[in-house]
Amino acid sequence: MSALSRIAYPVAGLLVIAVVWEAAILLFRIPTFVLPSIPSIAGALWGDLPALLAGLRVTLYEAGTGYVLGAVAAILLALVFVLMPLVERAAMPIVVAVNSVPVVAYAPVALVALGMGSASKIAMVTLAAGFAVFVNAMNGLKAVDPAAVNLLRSFGAGPLRTIWTLRLPAALPAIASGLRVAIVRSIIIAIVAEMLGAYAGLGQIIYLATQQVDFLRVWAAIVLASAASMAIYGLVAWIERRLVWWK
Amino acid sequence: MTDPASDAIIELAGISRTFGGGAGRVVAIDGVDLRVGRGEFVTLVGPSGCGKSTLFNIAAGLADADPGGEIRFGGQRHAGRDLLGRVSFMPQRDLLLPWRRVIDNAILALEVEGMRRADARARALAMMPEFGLAGFERHYPHQLSGGMRQRVALIRTFLFERDLMLLDEPFGALDALTRTMMQRWLLDVWQRHRRSILFITHDVDEAIFLGDRVVVMTARPGRIKLDVAVDLPRPRPAHVATSAGFLRIKSALLDAIEEESMKSFTMAGH
Ligand SMILES: Nc1ncnc2c1ncn2[C@@H]1O[C@H](COP(=O)(O)OP(=O)(O)OP(=O)(O)O)[C@@H](O)[C@H]1O
Ligand SMILES: [Mg+2]
Repeated sequence: MSALSRIAYPVAGLLVIAVVWEAAILLFRIPTFVLPSIPSIAGALWGDLPALLAGLRVTLYEAGTGYVLGAVAAILLALVFVLMPLVERAAMPIVVAVNSVPVVAYAPVALVALGMGSASKIAMVTLAAGFAVFVNAMNGLKAVDPAAVNLLRSFGAGPLRTIWTLRLPAALPAIASGLRVAIVRSIIIAIVAEMLGAYAGLGQIIYLATQQVDFLRVWAAIVLASAASMAIYGLVAWIERRLVWWK
Repeated sequence: MTDPASDAIIELAGISRTFGGGAGRVVAIDGVDLRVGRGEFVTLVGPSGCGKSTLFNIAAGLADADPGGEIRFGGQRHAGRDLLGRVSFMPQRDLLLPWRRVIDNAILALEVEGMRRADARARALAMMPEFGLAGFERHYPHQLSGGMRQRVALIRTFLFERDLMLLDEPFGALDALTRTMMQRWLLDVWQRHRRSILFITHDVDEAIFLGDRVVVMTARPGRIKLDVAVDLPRPRPAHVATSAGFLRIKSALLDAIEEESMKSFTMAGH
């Protein structure tokens, strides 16, 4: 029942959108270059599949690598900040300053410093995913019940022991939801970064197709990107439910 | 090494604790003197909010008292912090970790002490039946009733074997029957292991039944109002609660408590 409805409702939603989409094209005579019909997009997707999949592989590689690097760095940084309040006080303003600018704004710097290849995309994804995870990890690590911290202290536990036994597990739900938010953001940032200058990837395909006024190809790439995003998001959400089952 | 003149496990002298400043200033406790002898069972009663838990936090080394007071532990003067890890402390809330099974919550203190997990679990497992938790080792806290959760917290406290135990309303959430059983069991453990116990309760009968002494605190700011020795022979049968000696102590305590409770209500009315 619940497994069925978990699939049935989204499918129903997609069907409604498809119907509205096609109806809008017919009713308002929307030109193809603004909104192509679904079958034509499907055709483009099918015809271009090898090239699109190659692009997707590059994008996912960049997004995935940046995601992992960013997440690991974010959790480590949050732990350091929680363990060393002085370091936090000194470094937090810098972190906030860097984070207050959209990551894409750093694209020119990344491109100049790291070139048009994957490295610049990975760097930007690392930054974007890192912040998403960092903010959540920080909140989670600090939201721990002070009475529980005191209980461990009364057993003679030091700060490291308290982190390992209490703060980290207690922060896991927050960290996991940060990881979930960050995965989608990673794919978006990878694509946007590719559109700003790249040799390969879905973003580069979209950029080139726009230049060539090949809107079917643009849409095909978009569909593929969002399908991949959804699948990966679903996977991460599933892992999250396994990991923090007690919530 | 230890001061022979004082056979107290812990001695608090002139302990005060103030929270906040300015208009929000709250004097939680004000010059408390309290002594628990070695092997003594002292129960502490007092109106809600009079600073009992605050006193416990200080005695456990978790919070600093205001300057001026003195804490002696095992005959030696101590700064509050030194007491961390030396006093077995059971907070008012059970504070079970939701991601740990019953058994792993029970061994928390042993784990902090560095005992091997398998050994710690074996010890906790052996205690489960005594606490009425046999068969629930592998459950998670959210699968337990309030009383069961409290018993898990109790095992956790007992496995942290220290000379002084501070128990903050440990039986508050238990039904009458389990409560009586746990009281007997606690007395048994106390007599066998000769630990010193300071025990907060709101139940006057419980305070008398368990204690060598019952200490009554005043309404906030908390001070010691009354310190009564319970000179009833042990082991105390259940019907001791109807004996003349028991009732005499009880009526003295109830008078003192009522006076203080009235105070805290009229204070709140302002
Ligand atoms: N961290 C804190 N900050 C400010 N005020 C506090 C703090 N902890 C306790 N207090 C105040 O100190 C007073 C005593 O609190 P405490 O918890 O020690 O009371 P208690 O005697 O244990 O009450 P109860 O029987 O209801 O558990 C209360 O008025 C409370 O508001
Ligand atoms: Mg209390």
